[in-house]
Amino acid sequence: MDGATFENLNLFLNFGLPLLLLMIAYFIGSMVERRHFSSIRKRENENRGYPVVSFDTMPDDWKVSESTMVAGNIVVSLDYFKRVIAGLRSLVGGRIKTYEPLLERARREALLRMTESAREQGYDAIFNVRLETSRLANSRGDGNGTAGVEMLAFGTAVKFASRFARTP
Amino acid sequence: MRYVPKQPREGINVSDTHPLVEAGTLVVGLSAIFILIVLALVFLIELALYFVPAEKEAELFRDWLPDDLVTVSPGDERLYETQLLVDRLAFHWADSPYEFRVEIDDSEVANAMALPGGLIIVTQGLLDQVESENELAFVLGHELGHYRNRDHIRALGRGIVFSLFFAVATGSSDAAGLGLKVSDLALRGFSRKQESRADEFALAMVYTQYGHVNEAWRLFERWDNEDKSILDLVTYLSTHPQAGDRVESLESLAVSEGWPLHGRVTALQW
Repeated sequence: MDGATFENLNLFLNFGLPLLLLMIAYFIGSMVERRHFSSIRKRENENRGYPVVSFDTMPDDWKVSESTMVAGNIVVSLDYFKRVIAGLRSLVGGRIKTYEPLLERARREALLRMTESAREQGYDAIFNVRLETSRLANSRGDGNGTAGVEMLAFGTAVKFASRFARTP
Repeated sequence: MRYVPKQPREGINVSDTHPLVEAGTLVVGLSAIFILIVLALVFLIELALYFVPAEKEAELFRDWLPDDLVTVSPGDERLYETQLLVDRLAFHWADSPYEFRVEIDDSEVANAMALPGGLIIVTQGLLDQVESENELAFVLGHELGHYRNRDHIRALGRGIVFSLFFAVATGSSDAAGLGLKVSDLALRGFSRKQESRADEFALAMVYTQYGHVNEAWRLFERWDNEDKSILDLVTYLSTHPQAGDRVESLESLAVSEGWPLHGRVTALQW
């Protein structure tokens, strides 16, 4: 290997490889995100008529026979592209726009999983819905990296005593 | 209260800026800021060079030694001979404000450095690799050339830029690390120009000392031929011109100046 080849290899390792990784991460990341969003929209549409509310007490006109707690949970991670852009953003501050779709996906997916679990068990509605987020760190040796976020949605699912109880 | 089912509204929690637009804005904006910082630092360094003349610098750093330097014992033969050679070479630079001091670093990587106050550091690795006094004289003359052009102060300035960005890089993310690499590439161009000027000074000095320039660039010829040592010299090659290019430009300089390419080679004194 002569000097020029070595220099070129060095250049590639220093600049080409990170750029290549960034591009791959961008394409895969945005494809995954697009597919996830379209799945979320489709399932939200299927669950459109199902009551999921955040009241902490049950509406007076609900006559219920049974209740249980339901939960939906998701852990999502950033792609390398988003992480790098967010890193650049953190130098000057401001909205980390690349993180916003990630959290949006997490929230809606967690709510959907909760809803779907309640429907599968034959419940008719969910009230007192709450969302919680926790950050999973330690993806890097120094503990500063972000492995991803966990989004937890939970609420009280109820079975109506009568199908007609809702409408007075 | 009636429950009216609705789909969640889109576009409230997610900004509609395309990620690539966001990336482009950040990269362009931050590069502009970075260039401004570097230009400001370059300006400050030139200002410092103007207000702190070489005499003042030599006085300020008279007894200074870097803390992390591991030196050989003061009685070392190679240290003595190298110091002697530097003194003989510096004799040809009559109005030099520096009192040159030589220290030997115990590193195996062949390298030589010019530090403020006339402190020349040569590594064990370099002394192991030189085969004649003429070769060593050229390397030392090269460092003297850096003092002549006061490149060593500019190199310190570069070091400040790097440590600044290194601090940002460790503080935030791997993104700044990429910026560090880009700035390194940008600064290599400046660095190579300085190295060529120092090479020219060194060759003139070797000619004045020995009356010919035989073997002056033998070291670079060997590095150019030996693949292995080129791999060992990553740090050297990154800031200096390629060994082969150096040999070529030195040869053409000697020819155009009419300096003899042949002459008696002086053996090393150890």
